[in-house]
Amino acid sequence: VLVFTRKLNQAIVIGEGVEVTVLRIGRDAVRLGVTAAASVPVHRQEIYDQIRQANRAAVAAGPGRLDEIVARLRGGKSPASRHSA
Amino acid sequence: MTHATVPDGTITFHEGLPGFEMYREFLLVSSPESAPFAIVQATGGDGPSFVTIDPRLVAVDYRLELGPAELARLGSEGTGPLLWLAIVAVHADGAATANLRAPIVIDPVTMRGIQVIAAESAYPIDHPLQAA
Repeated sequence: VLVFTRKLNQAIVIGEGVEVTVLRIGRDAVRLGVTAAASVPVHRQEIYDQIRQANRAAVAAGPGRLDEIVARLRGGKSPASRHSA
Repeated sequence: MTHATVPDGTITFHEGLPGFEMYREFLLVSSPESAPFAIVQATGGDGPSFVTIDPRLVAVDYRLELGPAELARLGSEGTGPLLWLAIVAVHADGAATANLRAPIVIDPVTMRGIQVIAAESAYPIDHPLQAA
């Protein structure tokens, strides 16, 4: 882990074109500004982790299991009646 | 938010999906037998597969705007229809939920896909699926 000490309005540069600037320093939180190309995804870690966890919980084990899940969803809880296809 | 038809062929997720970042190429499998569900399946056989559904079938007024960064990652002009899919999870007790918080979005023209990871969302990650 690289550790930096930064003051207000100071920044670090990561790779090519990613810049993280300290915009405000509060008692419990710092406000950061991230400048990066649109193609570079920037996420809050806890949100990314939450979605990662949801994806892992949703992944179905094997195609057989998928067919079974779809059949069960269609049979009971699916909103199939509203589908136009 | 217009609706795109299901594309054939490989869809590239340049960042993968959270939790499965190593898989970048996916197929979309749907059939009249599986409707209204579609399967998003990693190519190659040993990768993850997800059951998905059009989020607007789950929440009628579902509406989520993509920012310029997301459109750039899709390679989208921002004019053509995009395909929106919510990942369905079936829990241990048999209850099914749809992830309206972080939908998959596919541009059928560029054949690129992303999972939307917005900082804020009015939609839950575990919206109950039930008969309408």
